[in-house]
Amino acid sequence: MKTENSALNKTPKRRSASQWAVAWRRFRRNKAGVAGLIIVLAVVFVGIFGDFLAPYPAYPNLGALTPFNHGDVRTPPSLKYPLGTDVGGTDVLSDILHGTKYALYVGVVVTIITMAIAIVVGAIAGYFGGWVDNVLMRITEVFLVFPSLLFILVFVKVLTVGAGVGSSINFLGLSIPMGLTIVVLVLAIFNWPGDARMIRGEFLRVRELEFVEAERALGANNRRIIFRHILPNILSSIIVVASLTIAYAILLEAGVSFLGFGDVNTVTWGQILENNFSDMRIVWWAEVFPGLAILITVFGFNLLGDGLSDALNPRLRD
Amino acid sequence: MFRYIIRRLIYMIPVLIGISIIAFITMYAAGDPIALIKAGKPNITQVTLEGLKRYYGLDKPLPIQYLSWLSNILQLNFGNSLYGGRPVNDIIAPRIWPTIELQVVSLLIAFAISIPIAVQSARKPYSKQDVTITSLSLFGVSMPTFWFGLILIIVFSFSLGWFPSAGSQGVAGFVWWGNPLLDQIAHLILPVAVLVYVSLAQNIRLIRANMLEVLRSDYVLAARASGLSERKVVYGYALRNAITPALTFLGIALGGMIAGAPMTEYVFSWPGLGRQYVASTINLDFPTIMGITMIITVMTLIANLIMDILYVYIDPRVRIR
Amino acid sequence: MTETLLKIEGLKTYFFTEAGVVKAVDGITFDVRKGESLGLVGESGSGKTVTALSVLRIVPKPGRIVEGKIEFNGENLLSKNEKEMQSMRGREIAIIFQDPSSSLNPVYNVERQLRDVLTAHEKKMSKEESHRKVLELMNLVGIPESEYRMREYPHQFSGGMKQRVAIARALALQPTLLFADEPTTALDVTIQAQVLDLLEDLKKKMGMSLVMITHDMGIIAKMTTRVVVMYAGNTYEIAKTEDLYEHPRHPYTASLLAAVPRLDRKKTLSIIPGNIPNLIEPPSGCRFHPRCEFATKKCEETPPVLEEVEPDHFVACYEWRNITLKGESSK
Repeated sequence: MKTENSALNKTPKRRSASQWAVAWRRFRRNKAGVAGLIIVLAVVFVGIFGDFLAPYPAYPNLGALTPFNHGDVRTPPSLKYPLGTDVGGTDVLSDILHGTKYALYVGVVVTIITMAIAIVVGAIAGYFGGWVDNVLMRITEVFLVFPSLLFILVFVKVLTVGAGVGSSINFLGLSIPMGLTIVVLVLAIFNWPGDARMIRGEFLRVRELEFVEAERALGANNRRIIFRHILPNILSSIIVVASLTIAYAILLEAGVSFLGFGDVNTVTWGQILENNFSDMRIVWWAEVFPGLAILITVFGFNLLGDGLSDALNPRLRD
Repeated sequence: MFRYIIRRLIYMIPVLIGISIIAFITMYAAGDPIALIKAGKPNITQVTLEGLKRYYGLDKPLPIQYLSWLSNILQLNFGNSLYGGRPVNDIIAPRIWPTIELQVVSLLIAFAISIPIAVQSARKPYSKQDVTITSLSLFGVSMPTFWFGLILIIVFSFSLGWFPSAGSQGVAGFVWWGNPLLDQIAHLILPVAVLVYVSLAQNIRLIRANMLEVLRSDYVLAARASGLSERKVVYGYALRNAITPALTFLGIALGGMIAGAPMTEYVFSWPGLGRQYVASTINLDFPTIMGITMIITVMTLIANLIMDILYVYIDPRVRIR
Repeated sequence: MTETLLKIEGLKTYFFTEAGVVKAVDGITFDVRKGESLGLVGESGSGKTVTALSVLRIVPKPGRIVEGKIEFNGENLLSKNEKEMQSMRGREIAIIFQDPSSSLNPVYNVERQLRDVLTAHEKKMSKEESHRKVLELMNLVGIPESEYRMREYPHQFSGGMKQRVAIARALALQPTLLFADEPTTALDVTIQAQVLDLLEDLKKKMGMSLVMITHDMGIIAKMTTRVVVMYAGNTYEIAKTEDLYEHPRHPYTASLLAAVPRLDRKKTLSIIPGNIPNLIEPPSGCRFHPRCEFATKKCEETPPVLEEVEPDHFVACYEWRNITLKGESSK
């Protein structure tokens, strides 16, 4: 049959079709996701430069009972102290700015550790199946059922009783507070089972896709299949979960610190809230604003996670 | 159905035992209690320490300790507190009801409100109404629970004086709003508002997402094509399918809520298990810690069981022959 | 001349999506006569399903009927409000979907779903009466042990049985017009014939009109007396089935017929070159022109309208006079 390809010849030039380029374009159109990204970037910026941006220097927070800044204890927001001072006399705004890096530290490290363990466990369980899968899933189930917060509190308390007061280790030139790190480790220990289940689910899903069978028929061994074929497909889910985990970790650390289990010497946002809790009636600004910082940061990461989810796993919106 | 329940109850037992073992090992492997007590009270004498050791049976081998503890637990004897020596039962018992009261009331209200909101949101996705609700929900999920509680207290209690800021009952003879019953309600309002708002946010997000998917399905289209009223299609056909995945998640979320009781109870000085747990943990009062942990675990398991039963009731595909 | 039951004129149903406006149905015209079996044939994406949904006015968002006329039994369906349409759906006009696994609600048992349809229109039905009617329906579509099986759930039925349930649901109130949207595509080949026979049988019994939506020319040959050929949202040929097979007048129809593989003749498998058009930016003029070997300049510019070339045989093509197309001789 003779074909007149007049219309076919008129096909418009195609834009870059790589998976990531497409996802980025989709992401750009998602206003909420972009807003989240902006917030996150802003927070990261403050985290890196917070120490320079803050009007007043950070002070080792020994229980926050020492008047620091010229004895201006418990002053409401004013020009000198834009967000007021707390019970110990420290400028709330500075505290918040200094605390940003801790929040990010918690969020990122918890997420990295959690993801690392979860991916390994999830991959093994999801890919190999059988009794290995069963055993691992039973373990994660137990973790899910019991009240993690309770265990977290106990672990943290027990581990920090022994740890020195105000100690920190030097890592790549940064001074990392021990107390906070303990909290981070404990949070990670109790967080990975949830993500492991999700990743295992993803592995199961992708494993059953036809192209995996095809690869196997072509002679690929297990390791190759896992690393070169399945993982890349799961990458988008992992990214989304990572973003949401960062949000969750920040929230959790704030809660743990607020209840008094945090590192008293590291002024995280939750710690500020703890210090001023009993005086809340008077220094309400010291309770409201740090919490607002938490809210905005977590909100940013959640928006980002949602936006990424929409962009990387497109559901039919129409 | 009945068999399913029995099977689930039996399944709970090994889980409980597993958790009790983990709890036990956690407490003791985390640090020798004697050393910890000593760290807390450096002036304590060796003799007293030895005496405490014997008194609490800490000189026996671990498995024996565990078994004796377990057998005590099963007889509902949680031993004595390391902090003051009172029987743990006396500490725990009066605090169980306040926690349950708070959780159950919040859950029921949250559930009841979230369903209609989520459904309406799903029916007109991306409309102004829907976007507002979705944003507020995301906001709610991003908020530290306790902070929300603080805000409510600052605004409604300190500033406006509408509600009490602490406790579950009026003190020193003072009764809010006239009579004891209203007094209880007055005290419940703020903490319940906190719990409801947070779980409301989670519920709505979940149900709405499921509803959106279900509303596109063929059977919903077919139901419309058969002439069923819109109301029946949405609430009868669509919703029932949308809720089931939400239920499993809700079970976990409920567990989270119960476990998160410490936060809210701490903020509002609510005399429940959560607040007690915080205090006991700070004091490293292990018997009490264990006791509360076991009770909360049981509560969580029961809550999950109820959710599972509901799930099976609603979705017949899951029923195993 | 049999009476017209359903008349569609210039119907346009568009979907307003993020990617653009999808013109799923862009000006179709045909009618369904009382008591006939009409075939609605075309490739996937030709707009057949959307047509049926438009008549019932259950086009899912973001779709909307933009223009046109739909008359059923003389009444204008587009002027009715939702309540009035609800009363027509299931009672006068019904539809069966392609995949019974997804068109039956998984969480309700069969009795409940059938009863829901019955009570949607007759609110005051007693439990016993509905039970009796459901039993009747299940027997009508040939489901064994109906008394027992009506309490079961869709997932407990096989594919063919599920489709029978779907048929029972559609026929519960004895509608005058039934749309069958690819009812056998999701079923095993051996079951397909059974279900088709059942449909034919029931149609005769109930004296209703059947619109058979399919892409399978074999089913058209078996089940229908008249056919409408759709492509990319337009109607291109309408004729009696026999006429269509023996003397197709539109190049697309001829291609469809030629594409059917046959075991009894040596024949190279012929294909229709090109791709299904993009419905957001459809080709200009006649939508088939990019793939048509007879296309002329006029075909590119203006869309053709249906003309009657023989009694009751309509074609939308500028070139029908100039071309001879090969048909299928009667088997």
